[in-house]
Amino acid sequence: MFNPPNVMLESPLHAFGLPARAATPAKENRVAMSELPHLGYIVLRGKADDTAFMQGVAGVLGQALPTRPMSVVSTSAGVVLWVSPDEWLLACKRSARDALLAALATALRDVFAQVVDNSGGLTALRISGPDHLLLLRQLGPYDYESLAVGRCASTVASKTGFTVVRTDTDGVVLVFRRSFADYTWRLLERTARPYRLCITSPAHCADPLFTPLLEIV
Amino acid sequence: MSGSRVLQAGTRIDSTRTVNFSFDGRDYTGHPGDTLASALLAHGVRRMARSFKYGRPRGIIGAGAEEPNALVQLGTGALTTPNVKATQAELYEGLSARSTSGWPSLDFDLKSVLGQGSRFMPAGFYSKTFKWPQKLWPLYETVIRKFAGFGDAPAEPDPEDYDHLHHHVDVLVVGGGACGLLAALQAGRAGLKTLLLDEQNELGGWLLSDPNAQIDGRSSEAYIRSVQAALAEMPHVTVLVRTTAFGMYEQNLVQAVELLQDHIAPGQRQAHLPRHRMHKIRAHQVVLATGAIERPLVFGNNDLPGVMTVSAGQTFLHRYGVRVGQRVVICGTSDLIHDCAESLAKAGAQVTVADVRHSAVARNGSYTVMAGHCIAEATGGGEVKGVKLVPLHPTRDETTGAGSFLACDVVLSSGGLSPTVHLFCHDGSRPQWDESLAAFVAPHTGRKGVACAGSVTGAFELADALAQTTQAMQQVLAACGKTDTLPVPSCPQPRRLQPRPMFRLPDGKAEGAGAKAFVDYQNDVSAADIELAVRENYHSIEHVKRYTALGFGTDQGKLSNVNGFVITARALKRPVSEVGTTTYRPAYTPVSLGALAGTMSGELFDPNRYGAIHASHVARGAALEPVGQWQRPWYFAKPGEDLHAAVARECLAARNGVAVMDASTLGKIQIDGPDAREFLNRIYANAWTQLAVGKCRYGLMLDENGMVMDDGVTACIEQNQFYMTTTTGGAARVLNWLERWHQTEWPELKVWMTSVTDHWSTIALVGPKSRAVLAKLCADIDLSPDSFKFMDWRAGTVHGLPVRVFRISFSGELSYELNVESGYGRALWEAVMAAGAEFDITPYGTETMHVLRAEKGFIIVGQDTDGSMSPMDLDMAWAVGLKKPFSFLGKRSLSRSDTAREGRKQLVGLLPEDPASVLVEGAQIMESATVGAQNQMLGHVTSSYHSAFLGRSIAMAVVAGGLQRKEQTLYVHAHGKVTPAKVGSSVFVDLKGDRQNV
Repeated sequence: MFNPPNVMLESPLHAFGLPARAATPAKENRVAMSELPHLGYIVLRGKADDTAFMQGVAGVLGQALPTRPMSVVSTSAGVVLWVSPDEWLLACKRSARDALLAALATALRDVFAQVVDNSGGLTALRISGPDHLLLLRQLGPYDYESLAVGRCASTVASKTGFTVVRTDTDGVVLVFRRSFADYTWRLLERTARPYRLCITSPAHCADPLFTPLLEIV
Repeated sequence: MSGSRVLQAGTRIDSTRTVNFSFDGRDYTGHPGDTLASALLAHGVRRMARSFKYGRPRGIIGAGAEEPNALVQLGTGALTTPNVKATQAELYEGLSARSTSGWPSLDFDLKSVLGQGSRFMPAGFYSKTFKWPQKLWPLYETVIRKFAGFGDAPAEPDPEDYDHLHHHVDVLVVGGGACGLLAALQAGRAGLKTLLLDEQNELGGWLLSDPNAQIDGRSSEAYIRSVQAALAEMPHVTVLVRTTAFGMYEQNLVQAVELLQDHIAPGQRQAHLPRHRMHKIRAHQVVLATGAIERPLVFGNNDLPGVMTVSAGQTFLHRYGVRVGQRVVICGTSDLIHDCAESLAKAGAQVTVADVRHSAVARNGSYTVMAGHCIAEATGGGEVKGVKLVPLHPTRDETTGAGSFLACDVVLSSGGLSPTVHLFCHDGSRPQWDESLAAFVAPHTGRKGVACAGSVTGAFELADALAQTTQAMQQVLAACGKTDTLPVPSCPQPRRLQPRPMFRLPDGKAEGAGAKAFVDYQNDVSAADIELAVRENYHSIEHVKRYTALGFGTDQGKLSNVNGFVITARALKRPVSEVGTTTYRPAYTPVSLGALAGTMSGELFDPNRYGAIHASHVARGAALEPVGQWQRPWYFAKPGEDLHAAVARECLAARNGVAVMDASTLGKIQIDGPDAREFLNRIYANAWTQLAVGKCRYGLMLDENGMVMDDGVTACIEQNQFYMTTTTGGAARVLNWLERWHQTEWPELKVWMTSVTDHWSTIALVGPKSRAVLAKLCADIDLSPDSFKFMDWRAGTVHGLPVRVFRISFSGELSYELNVESGYGRALWEAVMAAGAEFDITPYGTETMHVLRAEKGFIIVGQDTDGSMSPMDLDMAWAVGLKKPFSFLGKRSLSRSDTAREGRKQLVGLLPEDPASVLVEGAQIMESATVGAQNQMLGHVTSSYHSAFLGRSIAMAVVAGGLQRKEQTLYVHAHGKVTPAKVGSSVFVDLKGDRQNV
């Protein structure tokens, strides 16, 4: 498999021209945001009590899929999010995506499982800053204060939804769908107004788990 | 001579600074900390309004949210706000307000002239007059609208913002008076995550009007300050002022609105902050420390400007330094009136107290008491000038003598306290009448998850309230797993003379014969009106409310309801506990629509969903059409073209040359598993067992009634993997449908289904020249017709990108749908446009797509179907596999008598006799050209277009027994026009389907 030229790739937030608007956060910016674009996303479906499935996947990822709800696990292949009792989302480097799809397909050939490439359908956004928790609380009814480091939750926000991943105490990563990206960005930007949002580069908004997966175009 | 500013220690205003404001065009000054009401009263301004029905002059009665009369229009232009209570409007520099009633002016009101005929306008007269003649109703309506209502809604868009904030707390305390402060302190000290709300601009509640209270040896002000400081030290405690909890909902959800900036002059407001914020609070335990509101007494002319409540008199004096009058008459039923008399006398007023209790005496020599007396009526033209006091029978509500006249400039009355039970009762329950307290109370034990603290439970004395609060908080702490023992603050227990509950003061006359005694001020409801309702046989309190309009207004009867309930009970000769209250509903006080909407307005009202190629379409001038939440290109007009010209050009390009459409919005579902085929067999009407890898098939999906609910092409990617497409609008619904059947009925089937709608972008390359264009971009797929047949799919490389190419067609032409990962969607689209340039490639949108498929008789689910069309009705029996071993969804229903009967509506084509005449979609179809007394409507037009390819109009329609009516002429009726049309095949172009097979 080859990697097509990344210069052709447009992320779901491409239309907002965020990289060109990036600035360094100042004291007055209580919230900062940066898209973490062009990652690979693979959906894994399988039964947690099927050892063939669990071992097959573990063989490729280097460790077992988490079975505890809302888990976030860092593997050699990328970040694994528990989505449901029979669904996981793997975020990986784009350059590793095709090899991972092939390896998983091979490992799970005779196993009742599903491996789905959803790289074109999702994007990630890091939100950090002293008031990032207040911002989240303005978006929806989930008890964000209770979301501990190393956990994720899929929830509603106004008229859309997203997955929130708490990877450190400074911020969170939102993962959301391409077709709702326009609305999600507008919602975030508008809701962040009291906090004087700073659109920034990934370097100023680094996420311990997702940023290492970035391969900046 | 009436209200004036006095030097008073401990007020909450800053008398060293001045604030300028205007009311009804006149300029005044006030102080920071004033409300509009206190500042106006300080200037002796009395007349604030004209009553709703009778046009009677009205003034300020209360000091807070309970105020019914002083409704003002605040501000001008886009920021104007109607019906703000002057008692709640915080003064700021440059505030401009005007009255909202009185036409042409407050001083001379035309309605008051009509009001002279008030005996012809009792309660209920609205429903009895203005009925005839019916043709005059529009005139009546115009006139009534002029007189009705109070303020004006803004006519310009709102330039300010609103938002929401969610909270999850252990304890929510509603009300920041003495008991709320104590409850928050107790919860906070126990380490519980606590939120304290108060509707006022500062904490303290009634303590702000009662500076002499003593709690733990501290004065009111010192107590408030010390608790506030203690709360501020605790990071797990949040305090919000200017925040009104307006509704309590299931599972302890409380909604509150915070007025962040209404108290700030518009020019000083911060643009990055909202005007109002709605707080949505989920609390493990809710503590309602909502207090009580004093009721006025009901007596003749009690609506005159200058007649107020005792608590208003106290509040204006102690909080704002405004003495509401110089010659004061106070009438009431409990010792509250003596507290007030002492305060006003000390402030220099001449005070006479008419205490309804025969054994009452003055506390000191500073004021006079007339024991065993009450007010029969107030007198004065335009404002109160005096009262007629009458002696009372010691136990019965009757006068025992003629009485005397006493001149005064202000009258304060007190009928006792009504606990503010609203939030507790938002679950539909009713408060209990406590006969000894003469009050509807919330239970002092609350209910599961909800504690009641303080005077809301009837604990009206401060010492009792604090003790009861502590007891309630002990239970709250226990419910949160805290075992701390709470000390009760010490508070002196003064000796009190027992109150004598009274409501409607007697005037020695039959009800209705004397001066009007008002119960509800906002709707001009008098005691006589309530008795009238009972005489007219309305015996439920809910009926009395609707008949009289008692409690309907923006004050929601805060001063009037309980008086009304008791008067009703007396008229019915039934106990008050039996008559009960009306239903309490959110909102407690008015909430701006902006606060409810939050950010959900303008571009955030609803999501606009876009595909990855959207920017290319916009750049090419596409008009957009909403399809569900998606924005899809509708047509691409060139300069000078309208919709019809553009569509004609696009259609011809698709059939004669090459055209391209973005089909990315269709739902896409990846289905994997050894039982995938069986699953497809069960959810589709047709058969899937034999579909080979590399092949595609059209699938028809039926609901349990056998009716078509969705359709789409599904392809076999690998032996056990399928790629299903759905309609754009049906994607989520179909995935839910598949999951539902799999999870609840066939969990043993080994199959997975996952949405990939956003992962793939789809570019439909359409037309006789489409192959030539594709060949320029794709070198590794053999595109020759024998190799890559119609309904095949191949994987390959197009423009250097990994692409799945599906040779499927919704147009009936040679067509290739390119599926690429969405991040590359736009790059591929532009490459296709570039490669097609030499062939004059034409982008097209949904309108042309609709025409092309209609020319081929292809249905669009939701356009040609409406949930009541079976496959047989659509002449699609070929898509139903009745021989499949396991039943499929909808199969059994196909044999239902009504589903299988003759004469059902069937899908046919219609060709209007006049080829230039395009039928109206939705038009009714009949056998007759004329509309008679009996008309048999056979069906309707579902899709109708001008076909540029055929040079004439075409249509699809559903007609009763349509498939048997071929060649018959039927008549299509719409908008008064009749168009004859011939029934025929719904395939208008290329009947044999050769063009898609080239």
